[in-house]
Amino acid sequence: MKVKYNIDIVASSPLRVIKRRVSRAMPDSGKMKKPDVKLVILGDMNVGKTSLLHRYMERKFKETISTIGGAFFLKQWGPYTISIWDTAGREQFHGLGSMYCRGASAVILTYDVTNWQSLAELEERFLSLTDTAKDDCIFAIVGNKADLTDPKVLEVEPEEEGTGQPPVCSPPTVSPIVRKQVQREEAIALYGRILRYKLQDERSSLPAERMCFETSAKTATMWTCCSRHCLTWSFPPS
Amino acid sequence: MEEEHQDREQPEIVRCSEPQSHCSPDDTDSLKAAATITLDNTSPAEQGCGTEDPPPCKLDALQEISSTNGPSEPEPEPEPEPEPQPQPQPQGPGGEGPLEASSDQGKVGAGEENGPSEPEGPAVEDDQPENASDSASTDNTLEDSSEFVVTVLARGSLEDQGEGPSSELSEASSPAQAPAPSHRDEDVTAESWRRHRKHVFVLSEAGKPIYSRYGNEEALSSTMGVMMALVSFVQSGDNTIRSIYSGEHGTDEHTVVFMQQGPLVLVSVSCSRQSEQQLRSELLYVYNQIVSMLTQASINRIFERKKNYDLRRLLAGSEKILDGLLNLVDSDPSFLLSAVHCLPLASSLRDSLSQILQKAITPNLVFSILIAKNQLLTIVQEKTVIEDARLEPADLHLLLNLIGASSAFQAGEIWTPICLPLFNPDCYFYAYISYLDPPDCTVCLLLLSTDKEAFYAVADCKRKIDEGMRTQNALRAIAKAQSYSASQVGVSDLRHFMYKPFDVPDNHRQLTQFTSPEMEAPYSSEEERTRLLDLYRYMHSRIHSNSRPLKLIYHVAERETLLAWVTSKFELYTCFSPLVTKASAINAITKLLRWIKKEEDRLFIRNPPKYSTTPNPSKSSRGGKGGPDRQDTTDNGFLSLL
Ligand SMILES: Nc1nc2c(ncn2[C@@H]2O[C@H](COP(=O)(O)OP(=O)(O)OP(=O)(O)O)[C@@H](O)[C@H]2O)c(=O)[nH]1
Ligand SMILES: [Mg+2]
Repeated sequence: MKVKYNIDIVASSPLRVIKRRVSRAMPDSGKMKKPDVKLVILGDMNVGKTSLLHRYMERKFKETISTIGGAFFLKQWGPYTISIWDTAGREQFHGLGSMYCRGASAVILTYDVTNWQSLAELEERFLSLTDTAKDDCIFAIVGNKADLTDPKVLEVEPEEEGTGQPPVCSPPTVSPIVRKQVQREEAIALYGRILRYKLQDERSSLPAERMCFETSAKTATMWTCCSRHCLTWSFPPS
Repeated sequence: MEEEHQDREQPEIVRCSEPQSHCSPDDTDSLKAAATITLDNTSPAEQGCGTEDPPPCKLDALQEISSTNGPSEPEPEPEPEPEPQPQPQPQGPGGEGPLEASSDQGKVGAGEENGPSEPEGPAVEDDQPENASDSASTDNTLEDSSEFVVTVLARGSLEDQGEGPSSELSEASSPAQAPAPSHRDEDVTAESWRRHRKHVFVLSEAGKPIYSRYGNEEALSSTMGVMMALVSFVQSGDNTIRSIYSGEHGTDEHTVVFMQQGPLVLVSVSCSRQSEQQLRSELLYVYNQIVSMLTQASINRIFERKKNYDLRRLLAGSEKILDGLLNLVDSDPSFLLSAVHCLPLASSLRDSLSQILQKAITPNLVFSILIAKNQLLTIVQEKTVIEDARLEPADLHLLLNLIGASSAFQAGEIWTPICLPLFNPDCYFYAYISYLDPPDCTVCLLLLSTDKEAFYAVADCKRKIDEGMRTQNALRAIAKAQSYSASQVGVSDLRHFMYKPFDVPDNHRQLTQFTSPEMEAPYSSEEERTRLLDLYRYMHSRIHSNSRPLKLIYHVAERETLLAWVTSKFELYTCFSPLVTKASAINAITKLLRWIKKEEDRLFIRNPPKYSTTPNPSKSSRGGKGGPDRQDTTDNGFLSLL
């Protein structure tokens, strides 16, 4: 799985090595390996950005507390170093957003499927922050907390990372089902508007079906990557 | 250097210990204090048999008991026995046992003031807490309005949700209280909510709730409304509410302190018996913590534009930081002393840590701070910046709280704007925060830059620091560092102390520090610790009383004897076992001072090192208190969202 992911990144961004920004910060002796790709996670507070990152980095769901400022991570994938900014969704930290996004190759816009406003915020508050991202920056729109809305999702698959550990989270069988407020179509529509905003050609860009998806950091049932082309976290191929 | 002045001062102590017998005004005074404190003393025991689990409420619990003489209170405790004990004490200065006897004198400096001129007889203040009499003079401007205010607050704000049938209901059900799930979800109509030792509320001038320490601000909006009504009621008469004392004869003594800071109103409702001054300084910490997140300029501007703005929009998620601050304020004497506690460390180790920090610099970096166990290891500062302004202990406390209160810093490298209100309330620094020992997360590095974009450069400094630490094996050495125990001083009967020097060379001008041993038995439980801190707070309020400051207090409490002493060179609070005599206490202090002198290099940061990143002083950090970029004031962006 990892390897595949790896290849995906390379395939998607052979030329996306961030030179300017990072090398400025890196003197010759630099111990920080030069990140090859910068990825930023944006979205309103409480939508689950940090949880998604935990799920991805550590393959588990654990209690989070509201992020302060932005948290920077370096992740090594084979020969490639990915830098990831997990940003705070709180308005208080709005001003730093463009700094986190500077030179980003990929932006993950996250909303909470049970909270319509969180999708609206993506367009109102966060999209303009990506002005500092690369022109050909890849966007993904992720609807999190899908486990809250669909009980079937929980049954579909157990932890499938095959790490041998017991699942960190057993499905909350009795948890009440929350009404889903955001349909995937709305996210797809937003994706189209984003491409237009970024003046990217829709036909040559990655298709919305692949870049907009619903997931759950909690149950991880949909937590894999599959896309052939892109740096995304998405449904497993079925 | 302590040596000579001890010799100089010591006879003074002796002198002032002699006239004990004819210091009557103060004696009775302190007896009353002893009474209030005794009252406090008995509470842990009471606490044990109560149904209550949250420890901070014990004072209230006790008041509950003593109020059983009133008809209204349902009997919550099986044994009201201890209740009469504290009561007769104030009236009977001659009747108590030797250990209860308490005396404090202000002979060293303030003696004259409390000589014959002090007419306040016992009758005046039989049930008043000590600090009430100290600061009573400050609110005499309130005149009749204060009476109004007291009643309203006692009935209104503290009970406004609970008047009538519902209050009976909640009282009836109080024995079966479930443990509060979280302070935020607390039922504000419940008795347990009212019983919290110290409430803190923040509201906007327009009366909009911003923060409440316990319970959800929403549910408290009517309470906040009452408070705001009070504030504006009094303001309209050209007075400003400062504080209110409520409580009829010890049943329900609350001190209510109001503080207005710009468009914010902060209110403390406490039965901790702290002085108004202390509560006020705590509220200032709360205000400053809010400023540290938003800057004063932004707060003012927001409310200029929109009087009834809901500031919670910007503070959402930060409640934990304010909660953490208030818990620290209650449990950490750094706040009381306005001084920084640094972790004792061999000076050679501290120096080499400083050097590691000094070597890892980049333009616009102004402070490099190393923290372990919530205490300072070392701090290295940009030269030009500290020429202009110094880092105040209060700012450092806010930073330490931010780091301590938030486990968010334990993953990844954090980059966040932060304002240091005392350094400059209107501008942001950008803080790089990262732990150097990832899974354990005990040693935290904090680098403050004035350049918002400097993250990668600053992160690279961290990598150099990592490297430096590794080659010197410094982390392991830090892990071994510990606070010390009072027994190491080698003075029998000395249980605990707090020593704040004013004369560490080249140091006090930059950072006020204090040293204090670990609180050990008999102060190892939460309750006992709080009790000792309460005693210290009481001593501190006497020493720093506006109306009648004292230089030396020898205070015999029920279970310990305390001696507080302030000179031009230091402020010292000591706690002895109750068996100590005055002479041996003074002797012990001499030894203690000698010990501190000997250990000074280990206990304090002696020469805070500096560096210069001037090759590129750029746009920042020069010019008066200007510190960080002025233009960054507006730059946090949220203003545009209004
Ligand atoms: N049921 C469910 N809860 C989730 C999921 N992901 C996150 N949460 C919960 O949502 C809350 C917020 O999660 P975070 O990951 O801290 O949210 P965030 O977006 O990082 O928030 P900020 O850092 O404040 O911007 C936490 O209580 C999580 O436990 C999910 O997939 N399902
Ligand atoms: Mg987060």
